[in-house]
Amino acid sequence: MISVTSALLVALSGMVIVFLMLAILCAMIVIISKVVSALTKSAAPAAPAAPAPAVPSAAPAPAAAPGPYGGEVALLGVDEKTAACVMAIVSHETGIPLSELVFKSIKAL
Amino acid sequence: MLEFSFFGTLRDILASSGFADFVNDPRSLVMIVVACVLLYMGIGKKFEPLLLVPIAFGILMANFPLTGILNPPEGTNVGLFWVFYQGVQYAVYPSIIFLGIGAMTDFGPLIARPSSLLLGAAAQLGIFTAFLLALALGFDPEVAAAIGVIGGADGPTAILTASKLASKYLPAIAIAAYSYMALIPLIQPPIMRLLTTEEERKVKMEQLRPVSKAEKIIFPIAVAIFVILLIPDTAPLIGMLMLGNLFRECGVTERLSDTAQNNLCNIVTIFLGLSVGCKAQAETFLTVETIKIIFLGLFAFMLSTAGGLLFGKVMYKLSGGKINPLIGSAGVSAVPMAARVSQVEGQKANPANFLLMHAMGPNVAGVIGSAVAAGFMIKVFQPLVGG
Repeated sequence: MISVTSALLVALSGMVIVFLMLAILCAMIVIISKVVSALTKSAAPAAPAAPAPAVPSAAPAPAAAPGPYGGEVALLGVDEKTAACVMAIVSHETGIPLSELVFKSIKAL
Repeated sequence: MLEFSFFGTLRDILASSGFADFVNDPRSLVMIVVACVLLYMGIGKKFEPLLLVPIAFGILMANFPLTGILNPPEGTNVGLFWVFYQGVQYAVYPSIIFLGIGAMTDFGPLIARPSSLLLGAAAQLGIFTAFLLALALGFDPEVAAAIGVIGGADGPTAILTASKLASKYLPAIAIAAYSYMALIPLIQPPIMRLLTTEEERKVKMEQLRPVSKAEKIIFPIAVAIFVILLIPDTAPLIGMLMLGNLFRECGVTERLSDTAQNNLCNIVTIFLGLSVGCKAQAETFLTVETIKIIFLGLFAFMLSTAGGLLFGKVMYKLSGGKINPLIGSAGVSAVPMAARVSQVEGQKANPANFLLMHAMGPNVAGVIGSAVAAGFMIKVFQPLVGG
């Protein structure tokens, strides 16, 4: 048997340990991501300089196209539901997880 | 001289048949009915059929009288299902299933938003509250711990814990775990609507950042090293989960990844289901304890869902309204069903809401969280069962 106090202590300790463990994992992921990002950036300057933009400043890029990781997709003539279907189909057909795909715009033809 | 009597022989056959044994112990007949009901739920209602169908057939086989199918080795004879059951007894099947789950799981959403791990932790609340309630209902501490793990909504983890701490109750625990996992679309939505406001449910979350291949490769190795070193009892589950994920992500073991997530996982699922089912015999299954376990499992699921949602509300506040608390309920493992429920409920509140990928983070975090919670319970209570 187990006393009420011990039972409560076990439950509380268990919850705290699970939280602590996953919080440390969270911190570990952040550190890994930062290290990987730093290594990638430090490796980048060694590569040849990026070519100048193909389109001169006089002709700006289409305004509707946001940055690739801006969290926005330009929807041209399609509703969000259709766009979500298109994204899911592209992900399924290419075998690339949605988290790795970046959509700039989806346009109805 | 051989004296042959047709009717005498017929009488002997019937007297030594399983049908005659039902007269001595009709409880086996009740178990056969239970097996048929479960088969109907698996086939007719499609409740986790990949597991429920073999489990139900295992129950059917184990309750046919006089087969000796569960007999331990005696000379050169051994019951077939006794052999199968050793894979559960020694935690082989759940660990291999975790290998397959690892190979199927994309941890990208979790790496992109590591705070999801906290939602996965909060959604283990049901494990510890159900443990307390099970104690209050008179279960021994080690059995209460195994029952509590149902709240992790993770079948293999519940089976592994039960096999180590409460093998007598393994079938009831496994059946409760898988039945409630199948019922998640019915269990979670009312709790989600009760604990969140319309405004919270409408929150649209920002697109997750892309995760590099290097991060995805380092993740399983780092998690395995850290978690197993800290809680060695999680080694079978976390080790195999992360190995499976490494197969998937490293890019040089595609064949192994494919085998782990398909053929191997399917083969082991058959043996796991049969092994769990074959332990459901009348004398241990048709008891008040089984009913209590079924009730406690539901309680654990509901509390885990609530825990995830409440922590989701905390994150909603802390993030200035950028995190939709509905993804918290996906912190119970049940991959990917719980994430789908978050998606559906989010879309009901705001048709432009697409929470699936955001909910996958807490969802896979829940797998790690429930394995850690189970490892903790095994660590604390295994000495009581002499392990």
